[in-house]
Amino acid sequence: MKTTILNKLTIAGIAILLLGIFSCTKEEINLNELDETIFVRHKGADMPAYIHGNGSEKVFLVILHGGPGGSGLQYRNNTIKSRIEKNNAVVYFDQRNSGNSQGNHSEADVNIDTMAEDVLALAKVIKAKFGDDSKLFLMGHSWGGALGAAALLKNQEDFTAWIDVSGAHSPKGMYEQYKVVLKEIAEEQIALNNNVIYWQTVIDLVQNVGQNYSVDDFFMLNRAAHAGERKLEEDNIANKAQIDDSDDNELILNNPITATWNSNGVLDIIVFKNGLWENVSLTDRLSEITIPSLVLWGKYDLVVPTLYAQEAFDNLGSEDKDIFIFEKSAHSPMDNEPELFADKVIEFINGH
Amino acid sequence: MKKFNIIFLLIAALSLQAQSQTDGSSFLNQTQFKVGYYGSLLFDNGLNLGAEYQWKEKEKVKEKKKGQKTIRQQLLFNGSLGYSTNFTLQTDNGLQTYYGLIWRRTNHKRRQINIELNPLGYYRSFLPEAFEVEGNEVSKVRFPGRSYYAPSISFGIGRLRKKKRNAGWYLNFNYSMRMPYNAGALPVFSIQYGHRFNFKNNK
Repeated sequence: MKTTILNKLTIAGIAILLLGIFSCTKEEINLNELDETIFVRHKGADMPAYIHGNGSEKVFLVILHGGPGGSGLQYRNNTIKSRIEKNNAVVYFDQRNSGNSQGNHSEADVNIDTMAEDVLALAKVIKAKFGDDSKLFLMGHSWGGALGAAALLKNQEDFTAWIDVSGAHSPKGMYEQYKVVLKEIAEEQIALNNNVIYWQTVIDLVQNVGQNYSVDDFFMLNRAAHAGERKLEEDNIANKAQIDDSDDNELILNNPITATWNSNGVLDIIVFKNGLWENVSLTDRLSEITIPSLVLWGKYDLVVPTLYAQEAFDNLGSEDKDIFIFEKSAHSPMDNEPELFADKVIEFINGH
Repeated sequence: MKKFNIIFLLIAALSLQAQSQTDGSSFLNQTQFKVGYYGSLLFDNGLNLGAEYQWKEKEKVKEKKKGQKTIRQQLLFNGSLGYSTNFTLQTDNGLQTYYGLIWRRTNHKRRQINIELNPLGYYRSFLPEAFEVEGNEVSKVRFPGRSYYAPSISFGIGRLRKKKRNAGWYLNFNYSMRMPYNAGALPVFSIQYGHRFNFKNNK
């Protein structure tokens, strides 16, 4: 009887072992069609980088997600996947305490400074894996725009160029800007007779929030900005955001419960405890960024108002810089005008 | 984490020692083995193996109009080992093992409910290719992954097979915490569905 038990347990053990081995077996890298998940271990965090697309020229577009608390793969959509990945490789990176990052670090390690160092660590890992001749284009969206700028202010050597998409390089001033921009757009839309009741509530909200910053008031305005963008899409002022159904459902397969939990954690630390929207502004230091830069913004961006596009462009220290405003886009031009977005990004990458 | 690992290994060793001193046939009589699915159905899926050793048992016989009804309550030691993965992206590969106590009630229709408390739990994640960056140095991580203390609780139902005392199916809803995870702890929900059996085939 004991032999039978041992035999059965041995078979079960081998089955588990094989499951583990096969799930971890690496295939040889095909640079033409990269499909890799690698982890970057840095200062107590293990952060996944999902690398997809055409790496034959060793050109990598590194995308820094928004949030804080978004996830890299939320950008593997629309023309980023269908067109940009065909032009060059795209690296979707889950930041510290975000997406499916894991590790063991303290709250004190979750700050823009350490997270910027993580981005530099990612660049070193890509070059270690694919070669020092790899060309890295850094692209930050929203909060990723602040993080990308912070990383470049530490070290620009590893990057060929910078693409700032609706980047929050000055979170500190956002509260005041929300009040101005939301009031303006509300009055404009009421005059056009668009969603009048909604926009009237926005005017009331702007009048009722506190004169000085508070987290609660900030998020009321932030939510109104997001909702306002949906109203603009309804009225065809901006294009409706397109999210194509990813055929392999990576976002679902990548455990959104973990990602959501992490997201709440990082938001709590960076926004509520560290006062991101109250204390951080990189505007005065943007002049130190001297690599070629492209600023992309939606004309109807209420979340990071369009005023910041010109501010970023004017302050960037690069001699080779360009700005483009998407006429039918809100905060995410890659979703509102995906084809034009891909045109602009591919043109910039191939031109450098 | 090292502290948890040492405690876990000590208790596992004690448990093995205790079992080795038990009379063989008695041990098999008192032990149910289980094998089944383990995962969240959507995000990660895997296999779970385990054993339950009966510590205490109490049977109550109630006289009802339709005849006698026997209700059995058991306390069992529980040990389990599972592996799950999200095959495509390999960001959620891991081995989990835990130890604790089960309270189980079996009614006269062979239906079971059970509650598990597993204070001793360990989760080891297995990551794909990983690189560590320290200063300007980049090095490849050997056996990349991390260890977490992972206690758990489960609520479950099941049913014994006809004329079997220790065999049947089970469905458990498991909640565990991995800690320390990032700057806090990570709650994890999983489902376990499988079959319990006894090598003695006792009725």
